[in-house]
Amino acid sequence: MIYDRIMVRFGELSTKGRNKMAFIKLLATNISKKLSEDFSDFKIETRYDHIYVVVNNNDPHAMIEALQEVSGINSLTLVVKVAKDIETIKATALEMIKSQEAVTFKVRAKRSDKNFPIISDEINRQVAKEILINSNLKVDVKNPDLTVGIEVRDEGCYLFLETFKGAGGYPLGIAGKVLMMISGGIDSPVAAYLLMKRGVLIECVHFASPPYTSSAVVDKVVDLLKTLAHYQTNIRLHIVPFTKIQEAIHDSIDESYAITVMRRMMYRLSEKLANINKCLAIANGESIGQVASQTLRSIRVINEVTNLTVLRPLVTYDKNDIIKIAKQIKTYDISIRPFEDCCTIFHPQNPRTKPNFKSTIWLEEKLPFEEMIAEAIDNTKSVLIKAESDN
Amino acid sequence: MIYLDNAATTKPSRELLDVYRQIEEDVFANAHSNHLAGRNAAKYLTKARSALLNVLQVENSHRAIFLSSASEANNLAIKGFALKHQNRGKHIIISNVEHPSGYEAVFQLRDKFGFEVTILTINHKGFIRPEDVREALRKDTILVSIMAVNNEIGSLNPIKEIATIVHTFSRAMLHVDTTQAIGKIELPYQDIDLFCVSGHKINGLKGSGALLIRKNIELLPLISGGNQEFGLRSSTVSVALAYTLALAVKKAASELSTNATRLTSLLSFLRSHFSKQEQILINSPEKGSPYIFNISLVDKKASVVVEALSNQGIMVSSVSACHAKSEEVSQTVRALGRSEELSRNTIRVSFDHQTTIEDVDAFIKAFDDIVLRIRS
Repeated sequence: MIYDRIMVRFGELSTKGRNKMAFIKLLATNISKKLSEDFSDFKIETRYDHIYVVVNNNDPHAMIEALQEVSGINSLTLVVKVAKDIETIKATALEMIKSQEAVTFKVRAKRSDKNFPIISDEINRQVAKEILINSNLKVDVKNPDLTVGIEVRDEGCYLFLETFKGAGGYPLGIAGKVLMMISGGIDSPVAAYLLMKRGVLIECVHFASPPYTSSAVVDKVVDLLKTLAHYQTNIRLHIVPFTKIQEAIHDSIDESYAITVMRRMMYRLSEKLANINKCLAIANGESIGQVASQTLRSIRVINEVTNLTVLRPLVTYDKNDIIKIAKQIKTYDISIRPFEDCCTIFHPQNPRTKPNFKSTIWLEEKLPFEEMIAEAIDNTKSVLIKAESDN
Repeated sequence: MIYLDNAATTKPSRELLDVYRQIEEDVFANAHSNHLAGRNAAKYLTKARSALLNVLQVENSHRAIFLSSASEANNLAIKGFALKHQNRGKHIIISNVEHPSGYEAVFQLRDKFGFEVTILTINHKGFIRPEDVREALRKDTILVSIMAVNNEIGSLNPIKEIATIVHTFSRAMLHVDTTQAIGKIELPYQDIDLFCVSGHKINGLKGSGALLIRKNIELLPLISGGNQEFGLRSSTVSVALAYTLALAVKKAASELSTNATRLTSLLSFLRSHFSKQEQILINSPEKGSPYIFNISLVDKKASVVVEALSNQGIMVSSVSACHAKSEEVSQTVRALGRSEELSRNTIRVSFDHQTTIEDVDAFIKAFDDIVLRIRS
């Protein structure tokens, strides 16, 4: 293997003006964190428009696989850095194509160091000539099997063949942190993933109602977050004891309003936890109209309890699209384990799809909910969840 | 932890674990190998086999085939017998509360091999009437399969009477699922043509089991191969598992009546406690296995109660896995004539020889407290 570096190209990051260096630094930190999980003895070189990972003795393809889970990366290319000397460049290009199975090729050189005496077009010709003489490959500029990339820069010359797609989006953490409401279902992990891809760090809150819900539901949430932790090294999970509130709602709230009030309690608790943990917003997996509590009228009545922004990445997604992403990020099989996060005892037969404010507030007045919420927050347990390696 | 789910499985005894390890280390050779080590292993296997037959008092009448579990034994007995002898007739009689390894095997014969099946219904006390068996017998009946002890409610079938009827009035063979009976209740094993042993139900090891089969009965093997176990169950036999199985049965059998007396009093303690409660119906018949006690909750979800008990370190069982999306119904309790709701909300408490009055007391206290607390 002659490659010694991985060239990391930024995604939408390139479009950001003044804060660019801060972004690059954050991305470099994220890359370093991610790679440190499985590799040591690598080096990261940051440039104004690229980051280079110096591979040293590691397996570069394994590194690329790891980096494909880091958001904010547009593409990844295996490169070799050589001296800015046309003979060396020719020799290296030849070496690179030797082991490739291909019929046609083209050379695409770029010269950003204008002090290099040979212009791009001439580099193309010379390298192509070298390859034509020393191999069976033929030139095809329109649809080549191989493209030999050459970039002549101030610090040296880079050669490469293959480019791999990155996750896209923004570097994780650039957008701050949000508190993600996670149930164990299919939707919330997908919502969390979309946020992370957008550079948002997440902490998670789960409402547990033992013994009405099985401890297997918490295990399920933990397993989901272990899977998501591939994209964000550590995820903090807050487990809120929700049983007493559930029971109080069951005992004194009209059945048709039980879900509305329950969701309002969850939002109140989430807001408190978000503030305590310096999260800038709440997020969840709600999608318009999917269930009674997710009609616009319901969302309006439920959302009214908080001033915090509530992010709903899936708001317009169809279930099928959500499932597609869930399968792609490998949370689907965990989500469909047969454990429900809400006991059927608390599932009303006919929940309101159009709850109104007055009734909701009138009903809630029966509950000492401030105390119940304070107690739940006091007894919330937090755990830090790390990615589990696949092997 | 207070473990009261012994009908599902028991904790393996330390002693048997040690024996298992010792034999695996010392006598690991293949009992079918033609060298000294192999012959030595074969000796242990023979010892285990005759000990097992001996303790069940069928050494003259039966053969023991070592295999992996009672489920496998039931499958081999039912399918192996029916397929071998289908030319004699294709009618099978079973009860409506058999273990799945029994009725699924029979249903497979019905659905894929054209057998006819008569399903007898238990009465309200939970057992099959011998006269019903007699009535169901036909000329082409080749097999009657009735369990000895029901695994959910602990009801006992009159095996002695059923055996007499089957053998007097037909040419059929009697297969009895004795999984919950071996080492726990007295049975006339000589009268039964095919029956099974499961090690892990009597503090033995999971993976150890046997089918006991009357000497002259032929079966079609379900696993073909090297012709181990009289050609009826190929695959290298685990001498160590076989040996622990024999020891487990021996120990349970030797303590059978002491354990039964003691556990019967634990059971009547449970029974008298729950019979006072209006919201609870007792499903286990008065004269049943002293190891199994089953109730239905009138207005609570059994799965929630089981989860709450489990959170307090007390393990009992319900039909449905906790909070599963689709809730199952206990077919046995349904067969007693209970409503679907009551059959869904059953709880089974099951003992082993080590269960103490303190365990039962802790269960009762926790149970009463939970039922009071949780919402309907």
